[in-house]
Amino acid sequence: MKYDVIVIGGGLGGLECGYILARAGKSVLVLEQGRQTGGCLQSYRRNGLKFDTGFHYVGGLEKGQPLYRVFEYLGLDSLPWHRMDETFDRITVAGREYALSQGYDNFALRLAEDFPNEKEALKQYASLLSETESRQLDGLNPECQEDDFASSLCETNAYQYLCQSFRDTGLIDAVSGASLKMELRKSSLPLFTFLHGNSGYVGSSWRLKGSGSLLTGALAEGIRKQGGEVKCRAGAEELIGERHRIVRVRCTDGNTYEGDVFIGAIHPALVCRMIKQDGLLKPAYRNRIFRQTNTFGVFTVSLVLKPDELRYFNYNRYVYRKADVWSSASPGEIDRVMISCRVPEDGAYARQIDLLTPFLWEECLPWVQTEIGKRGEDYLLWKERIADACMVLAETVVPGLGDAVEQRYISTPLTYAGYLQAPEGSAYGVRKDAGNPLEVLLSPRTPFPNLYLTGQSLMMHGVQGVTQTALFTCAEVLGRDWIWRHIVEGK
Amino acid sequence: MTRNEIIEKVNALLAEEFEVDAEAFTSNANVKDTLSLDSLSLVDLVALIQQNYKVKIPVTDLRTIVTFNDLYDYIESHQPSA
Repeated sequence: MKYDVIVIGGGLGGLECGYILARAGKSVLVLEQGRQTGGCLQSYRRNGLKFDTGFHYVGGLEKGQPLYRVFEYLGLDSLPWHRMDETFDRITVAGREYALSQGYDNFALRLAEDFPNEKEALKQYASLLSETESRQLDGLNPECQEDDFASSLCETNAYQYLCQSFRDTGLIDAVSGASLKMELRKSSLPLFTFLHGNSGYVGSSWRLKGSGSLLTGALAEGIRKQGGEVKCRAGAEELIGERHRIVRVRCTDGNTYEGDVFIGAIHPALVCRMIKQDGLLKPAYRNRIFRQTNTFGVFTVSLVLKPDELRYFNYNRYVYRKADVWSSASPGEIDRVMISCRVPEDGAYARQIDLLTPFLWEECLPWVQTEIGKRGEDYLLWKERIADACMVLAETVVPGLGDAVEQRYISTPLTYAGYLQAPEGSAYGVRKDAGNPLEVLLSPRTPFPNLYLTGQSLMMHGVQGVTQTALFTCAEVLGRDWIWRHIVEGK
Repeated sequence: MTRNEIIEKVNALLAEEFEVDAEAFTSNANVKDTLSLDSLSLVDLVALIQQNYKVKIPVTDLRTIVTFNDLYDYIESHQPSA
């Protein structure tokens, strides 16, 4: 059988593309190398509890926000979403606490209580956040020629923009403090990435009651219901071409599948490595993809709490030991941590809390050659030491946390690399660079007319970013007009 | 770099990266046609020049580069000072 579309990678982006294309009537096959779908959103089970790796909260799901319409189309609006508190993120920098609140005007007003001299600047910033949010799908509008708004944000350095907008460095820390969900990098982070990583949440912030795999599980089920197939333990190994088109994919188990269109929903460098025939892919493209650098990884401490010890808190906490959150920690130092509480199944007490901190691949190098579960005693000790440091910082804002812990599990960038094949254990894929947008902003198109890319390495990361990117990838297959009419306008 | 060095190096680089025989790169030949560039591979070209010669070609300038001579001229006049 020849499929209309073969998607390589069963993470969020791959499944969203699979769902949209199956619903549009295409015969779809999704190939996932792992035991389960989900990619960065997959969860794992220990002692009857589910733990998440990359999923903690989502922005932009209120009716009227662009992501809501898309989630409605994808059948994800009916999942057990849980609205977070009006103040959804509490940022503590060097002992000073700031509140990030939902609603664009409200966001500015609340921060202006701490920074009264910056009231006007905050209003302008909030209105830029709001504009970014409302215009996020403009590029799909068939009547929109070029998205100049997005292009100019891509070429603007986020840190420089903040320095020009705000006089008080404390305010720069406050508005950047929830940005552990991206790589804060003074020299490169584009304003586009920064705004998109914040704007949806200010509109509205949500947790899922349950694990992130509910999202990807629902999409996989939706694909199957529409006649598509999702195969796990089916690792694509080679994309085989004939006359400048990709014609089939060969998996590690020896099976090959023929298709008309292929979508690489994994790291673009991994897609390029699958093209092995001489002369099929010009070095200029391959080398450009291989030149890309990757964002940092994440070190996660998943805590299981004793029952009825610590009340659930319906917001996230971000703690930074020192001022200037845009400066990265020295190697080996844990100077920041995000604290996220899982919505309890019942009752008012928290059962699971995750601590996350950015983590460099370089620090994992001693164990790169080792296998999952066999990394040795020194690895375990090292992980425990870092987890202890995360706990110390977390306890400064969640007193009693240490005493409430019953059990803890730890994942590192090596875990990401091992389970997800993420190059360098990167949490957010290819690093974007405002100084060089042309080089790093990868198009869904590739040198092959029937091979496309999708996923967090392209335009944007995060649930919202990947979903948006999936629409752009599907627009290459179905046309912008189709996506705009059926999904964005919902006709 | 002297102009001749630029020509020699750029030709060698483009021949390798786009898998086209450098003999086709005559000064008045059309760059896009010779390298079979579409809008996507044009980005590869711009990225390659930037990576190797630290010369950024903005989209507006890109339109002015038609022949190989134009490309050499552009790199020569925009070389970062040593």
